[in-house]
Amino acid sequence: MISIYTVSYKNLLRKKTRSLLTVVGIGLSAWVLASLLGFNEGYESALNKDIDNMGFQVLLTAKGCPYEAATLMLKGGTGLRYMKESIVDQVLSNEEVEKITPMLMHAVFDPNKGESGGITAYLGVDPATFPAMKSFLEFKQGKWFSEPEAMEAVLGYEAAELEQREVGDILLIPNINAEVKVVGILKRTGTQDDGTIFLPIRTVQRLFEKTGDLTGIGIKVDKNADIAQFEEKLYQLPDVQVVSLAQVKQTILNLVSTAKVMVASIAIVAILIATVGVINTVLMSVFERFQEIGILKSIGAMPLDVFKLIWIETLVLCLLGGGVGIVLALGLSQTTGILIRRLLPYAPTGSLITLNTEIVITTLLTVVLIGLVSGIYPAWRAARVRPLEAIRSEVA
Amino acid sequence: MILRHVLMSFLFLLLLGVESVLAAVGCDLNDPDRDVARLFPGSTGYRTSYASIDKKGGEPLLREVEKRLGEPFQGLFETIDVPYTIYEVLNGTQVIGYIHGVNQKGQYGGIQVFLCLDPDGIIRNFYFQKLTSKAAKELRSPEFGKQFIGLSLKDFEAYDVLSGKAPAGSPVSAIQNPVPEAETDFRASLRATKKNLILMDVFVLRPH
Repeated sequence: MISIYTVSYKNLLRKKTRSLLTVVGIGLSAWVLASLLGFNEGYESALNKDIDNMGFQVLLTAKGCPYEAATLMLKGGTGLRYMKESIVDQVLSNEEVEKITPMLMHAVFDPNKGESGGITAYLGVDPATFPAMKSFLEFKQGKWFSEPEAMEAVLGYEAAELEQREVGDILLIPNINAEVKVVGILKRTGTQDDGTIFLPIRTVQRLFEKTGDLTGIGIKVDKNADIAQFEEKLYQLPDVQVVSLAQVKQTILNLVSTAKVMVASIAIVAILIATVGVINTVLMSVFERFQEIGILKSIGAMPLDVFKLIWIETLVLCLLGGGVGIVLALGLSQTTGILIRRLLPYAPTGSLITLNTEIVITTLLTVVLIGLVSGIYPAWRAARVRPLEAIRSEVA
Repeated sequence: MILRHVLMSFLFLLLLGVESVLAAVGCDLNDPDRDVARLFPGSTGYRTSYASIDKKGGEPLLREVEKRLGEPFQGLFETIDVPYTIYEVLNGTQVIGYIHGVNQKGQYGGIQVFLCLDPDGIIRNFYFQKLTSKAAKELRSPEFGKQFIGLSLKDFEAYDVLSGKAPAGSPVSAIQNPVPEAETDFRASLRATKKNLILMDVFVLRPH
């Protein structure tokens, strides 16, 4: 005996073009939906990755200290304040801390820069912890320092370009006339690291007589830790300021959530269009088969049987469309990501669209739900057909 | 609270994507409004344009510049795509000269040599915007810079950048190195001057 599913399937095949166009329409909607859900997921995860790549989520500096190069330059190299190195142990004693790296920035007035002199900043970093924390830094030439107290320098790409230095060259530190050997040139990163001259922290402390002093500590916080609570703890330390990238990330995510609302609106419009399309297709099919449905009922089909028949047809269309949409989304996610990146040039690095099992299932369930909802009215109309009226309409 | 968030976001953008203040692409005047007026007395304004060997003539132009310089371009940073900033100096609407700078590798760091030229390509002023050298004070002295005034590309054409020699009796051979120990940086200055004049010749004075 032929099943109701086979009848539904065969009915759809009778109008192949219309069924195909409906499946394509649903497929496109499902593609948009899956891609938008994937974008929401991917953007946040790419942003998280970018922030993780910065090496540390929390920067601890002495209170009032200009903690990044741009501010330091704007202040004319003045205003650097120092913390004692002993604070490192205090910070490390917190269970939330995964890794830390101490830093010492020193600015030197160079009278031979510009008409009336300028500032050159040197960042002392710990060779044991800094490279591991900033593992995303890649070298154009050379490598990190050979020893913790070596008279060596690693230059960000633009610092190297300004100083016209390559590995093996000597770099003169003005004012104190100290010579350091360039052992590494970093590739461009698009961050302030590009303009930074890195030296081993012990070397900076010795050269500038700042033994035991630090200007900053980069802190990588444990993934499971409550950063806000940890920051509160850090504020208990005397004379420090806390610069938290977690807070910055939250602000950016809040801004992104506005975009998400727009994205969701687009998804809802796509779903509505798909729903109307499905209703239209199935309703047309019901009207065309008016007399046929009447005959089915006259030979014993119950209203529920007819309802199920039409509803299943709708469901099959939506399942096929959903499948097509998911295949499109999976196959074209890279291309879609490239297109989005063109529209959003400051988007985070990495994959902007992440399609996981959860998104695939959500999309399929949504499309099935569309099928179930949009099939109700046509199925109800079909179930209400009166056999005699249907046959009479054929005679007419 | 909102202000704090905005400020933090600004800092984040600084950390993530803005070029550092230490960065220098090509060779620009640090403060063009002030520098042009100072370097070119009598000027009332300036126009800025940009040129690169890559865009002006590509590989053939690079080969020509290298041939005239007497040495191939070297290293990581002396490349075909370096953008050069040319300041066209005005008095009213009249062009009274040009200012142009180049980066040059010195013994201990980068050197930026700016030349002020009249419309015929004669040097009116010589300026080290940046000079990392143990002899920086002497090389940046007005006395050293004055030796270049009145010279042009014609005078530098016979200067050999490899040997650092100029034909005896030529104006370039008369340029004195104030610190004999800084011979490398002295030669670097002359090379930068010759390169600067060649680039101005092919970009502005006698473009192809």
